[in-house]
Amino acid sequence: MLRFATRPLSRRFRSGYRWVDERAGTTDLVHKGLYEAVPDRGAWAYTLGSATLVLIVLQFFTGIFLLLTYVPSFASAWDSLRFLQTSDRFGNWVRGMHLWSAYVLILVIGLHMLRTFLSASYKRPRELNWVSGGILFFLVLGLAITGAMLPMDNAGYWTTVVVTNIPHYLPFIGDAIRTLWRGGDFVGPITLTRTFAIHIWVLPFLLLALIGAHLYLLRRHGEFGAWVNYSTTTDDPDREIAERIRRAEPPYPTLRIERQYAAPRKTVGFFPNQLFKDTVVSIVLVAIIFVFGFIAGAPLDARADPATLTYVPSPEWFYLPLDQLLVLTPQTYLIAFGVFLLVGLGSLALILLPFYDRSPARRPLSRPEVLVPGLFLAFMVVILAVLGVNRLYGL
Amino acid sequence: MLAASLTAVPGNLFGNGLAVALVVLLHVQIATFITGASTLAVVSESIAMARNDPRHARLSHDLVKASAYVFTFGSAVAIFFMIWVLTALWGLFFVDLQRITFYMFVFEAAAFVVEIALLYSVYANWGRLEAYRRARLGLLVLLAVVLWFQMFFINVVASYMLTPNGGDVNQLSQVLNPTFLPLQLHRTVGNIAWAGAVLAFYAGLRYLLATRRARREAAVGTVPARSVGAMSASRFAPGSPPPAARDSRLPYWDWLGQWGVLWAVGLSLFQIWIGYSYAKEVQLHAFPAWFRMMRGALSNVFLVQIFLLGMIFILGTLYFWRRMTASGARGTRTQIVCLVIIVLATLLAIQPAWFALSLPDVQAAHLDRPWWDGGLLNPIGDFIPNKVFALVVIMLCGLVAITSYLRAYSRGEVRMGETTRRLQGVLLALGVTVSLMMATMGVIRENSRQPFLIHGELRLQHQQIVTTPPQAPP
Amino acid sequence: MLRLTRRRMVQLTGLGAAAIGLMLSIPAIGFLLSPLFQKTRETWVRVGALPDLTVDQPKPITLKVPSGEAYDTTPVDRIAYLVRKSDGATLVLTNTCSHMQCDVHFDPTLQQFLCPCHGGLYDVHGNNIGGPPPSPLPQWVHRLEPDPQTGQTILFVKNAYDESI
Ligand code: HEM
Ligand code: FES
Repeated sequence: MLRFATRPLSRRFRSGYRWVDERAGTTDLVHKGLYEAVPDRGAWAYTLGSATLVLIVLQFFTGIFLLLTYVPSFASAWDSLRFLQTSDRFGNWVRGMHLWSAYVLILVIGLHMLRTFLSASYKRPRELNWVSGGILFFLVLGLAITGAMLPMDNAGYWTTVVVTNIPHYLPFIGDAIRTLWRGGDFVGPITLTRTFAIHIWVLPFLLLALIGAHLYLLRRHGEFGAWVNYSTTTDDPDREIAERIRRAEPPYPTLRIERQYAAPRKTVGFFPNQLFKDTVVSIVLVAIIFVFGFIAGAPLDARADPATLTYVPSPEWFYLPLDQLLVLTPQTYLIAFGVFLLVGLGSLALILLPFYDRSPARRPLSRPEVLVPGLFLAFMVVILAVLGVNRLYGL
Repeated sequence: MLAASLTAVPGNLFGNGLAVALVVLLHVQIATFITGASTLAVVSESIAMARNDPRHARLSHDLVKASAYVFTFGSAVAIFFMIWVLTALWGLFFVDLQRITFYMFVFEAAAFVVEIALLYSVYANWGRLEAYRRARLGLLVLLAVVLWFQMFFINVVASYMLTPNGGDVNQLSQVLNPTFLPLQLHRTVGNIAWAGAVLAFYAGLRYLLATRRARREAAVGTVPARSVGAMSASRFAPGSPPPAARDSRLPYWDWLGQWGVLWAVGLSLFQIWIGYSYAKEVQLHAFPAWFRMMRGALSNVFLVQIFLLGMIFILGTLYFWRRMTASGARGTRTQIVCLVIIVLATLLAIQPAWFALSLPDVQAAHLDRPWWDGGLLNPIGDFIPNKVFALVVIMLCGLVAITSYLRAYSRGEVRMGETTRRLQGVLLALGVTVSLMMATMGVIRENSRQPFLIHGELRLQHQQIVTTPPQAPP
Repeated sequence: MLRLTRRRMVQLTGLGAAAIGLMLSIPAIGFLLSPLFQKTRETWVRVGALPDLTVDQPKPITLKVPSGEAYDTTPVDRIAYLVRKSDGATLVLTNTCSHMQCDVHFDPTLQQFLCPCHGGLYDVHGNNIGGPPPSPLPQWVHRLEPDPQTGQTILFVKNAYDESI
């Protein structure tokens, strides 16, 4: 009975689809997207990239909803969010999802970076994957910090004051940058408008463009995966590798590539194998955000008070290591040394990693020259965060 | 009332202070070693299982044995420390502290029971458990966890004494006092570094002992004395291997030495910023203590500490450099550059900021001008910015030196066994330096609180009541 | 007739596009840089009679001054710390930390100004004595004038700091 009732509908749908497909080539497109070979081992670690993508899409959606109420004005921003929290149904939930998905996004993109770092996926010919990814990482951090400024509650206001003041310590052009960002010498009405423009237009535009490049590059070279997919099992490795390269599906083998890492030992289909795992991880993450957004929501401090004698500003947690660094590099030239030389050169070194780590080695333990500084950096970030938490929250 | 019921114990504040200092130093060096060693044992046992590496298998067993022996002695010291020094000489203070941080002490003491059971069962059954290596590793992990928990509880007490959070007797606010997390990080990193330094020291000593006879033989034999171990075996004509190469234990001691140095120097990298944050918390929450430490009577002791810190990195880099040279590895120029920069930075960092005992002295004499204007101040030695800068530079160069050494090691350019006797001297010096550094830190920490025993709470004078005969009871 | 080769096409359109781009960038860059050439509108505010002060005991008062930035004209609350020095002079300190411009406050037990952001410390006269701040607390630009009628000392404050931070 049910079957009978649906049949005409599905038939109609099918013919409709055929009409679109003849004109738009959708089936080809879907096949291109789905039928791709990926290395078979370590697949759970390769879900982090797509999880990042899903979370970014979620950010766009929830962000657009927030824009339906939020007013980017120094005088009204706080009131509009207060209204959203108290009078818009589910407003706090949507705002909570935007916040928590940003938090999870930062964690997941960090893990994605860590995994591509550990597996040395960034080596020839995937250098640009890493470079575009590195810039994406800093774009996401930029989005997070500009987002934290928008509510113009006490937390947002003091974040704005401190963050827009940092460029001031850059020699020669520092003052100009601060003035341009603030639209004056001090945080004023124009500051929020500019931060808003950066958060809504500038950074998302760059983000979308770079994600496009990142994914194009990924498909161009195929998923590298990790070294576990490349060991040889027969006693004639040369023949084995030659055979592998002959069978390889995506354009794995490029000219002049180190032969051992040219093609993985065994691949599985992106659809269904990898896509299944990707979906599982993304669903779990989105579910977490859904629940946290409801339970925890997003906090809104008291309205910004530039004349406070009691408020203790505490930065967002992802910004804590940098805030602690401000404590540790005090006065005169040390402020510029800490913020611009250490952090700036460190970030540059991170983005340019593939250009100086060019040995063929892929196992972490056989390239201590990047593993040791990498671990040092990772530990330092954690330690600075703990010290920052201790300082601010009296833990 | 409590004070009145106790009779006088012979001694004075200074003598009692010395007594407690000596016992505490011994106690601390033993306790930190056991905590660090248990962690390193877990690391080595895991590596041994994952890679079937006999050196790590041997090391983890050695560490367990050493922990067991040291623990026996250490618990004796702990009992002695508790009963005699603390309750007798510092009774009022200790009873007061016990009352405030009662549960911390309970947990701390209870941990001993678990530790003894675990450590001695692993120690006594090491061979029998060989067939159940995963279970044995599990026991080792458990032991390490319990030891870290114990340190956690005693750190609550230690940090409470310096920054007591307004003297709250609330248990949670004791744990969450302002210097608790910095101290926790500081000791977590420090314990393992200290265990590494002990390993380096021990390996150096064993290497020297093992080659002593060989050297004597060599001195009377045909082989030139200088060449023992210093050059690779290929230098010698076939048939007459160098005496050192005959000893199969030497590569192990060599390997162990560098393994210890890597932990000691590598983890000390983190101490620079942890220590700074720690001092910053003291400045914000116990300003007088901070003042004594940095500007007052202890400021010169602090210079000694900075010197020792610099020495750890100087000795470490010196070791990496000479060790790489001994094997003819590439990349020694990086080590030399790092060494030079670290030496220069240390020279910058150990400059006194004033040529007197303390800053108030200088101000009292109205000589707070730079020395080139006839005063006693030395602006080059200011902590901010110059010392901070120097310390950060030391940290970065130390990182480069370690990375460069490990790079050579991972390419097989540093072959074990090709070390020199002189390098063992560096290892010994490193062990001594770290030990001295711990002692200096202890002196600074414990004395910075004067005139308090618990900062802002319990004065030294109150303790004195016990050591002087009580007045006639009312 | 123009023989349009590929090279020629790229050259010509490239040149044209560059010219248009340059022209477009004049208003764009000029607009972006305009805050550098705008001046804040200066306002003097009559705060009132100087209160009684104990030597070296900073006393906070709340001012109502417009920021004068961009189109902003509404007065906002700001803090000034009044400090009487032992030589009789009066300091009118802002509570803006010279490090990252957080609001500092006076801690009576420590007898120091404390910055909650990164633990900057200043003595009672606003000199930076610890932590990250690179310079002393700035003062409000101000003047003290006797009131012709009552003879009281009246404090006037301008919406500007006496040194840029
Ligand atoms: C907006 C942020 C990002 C998105 C949406 C994204 C997306 C992806 C996806 C879907 C993949 C393939 C699946 C996987 O290997 O996980 C991938 C691979 C990769 N990503 Fe990202 N990514 C982002 C940021 C980054 C960052 C921050 C880095 C590092 C700096 C990075 C470096 C790489 C590299 C090197 C690969 C190739 C991995 C391989 O072939 O094994 N990506 N990215
Ligand atoms: S803003 Fe005051 S110390 Fe950083």
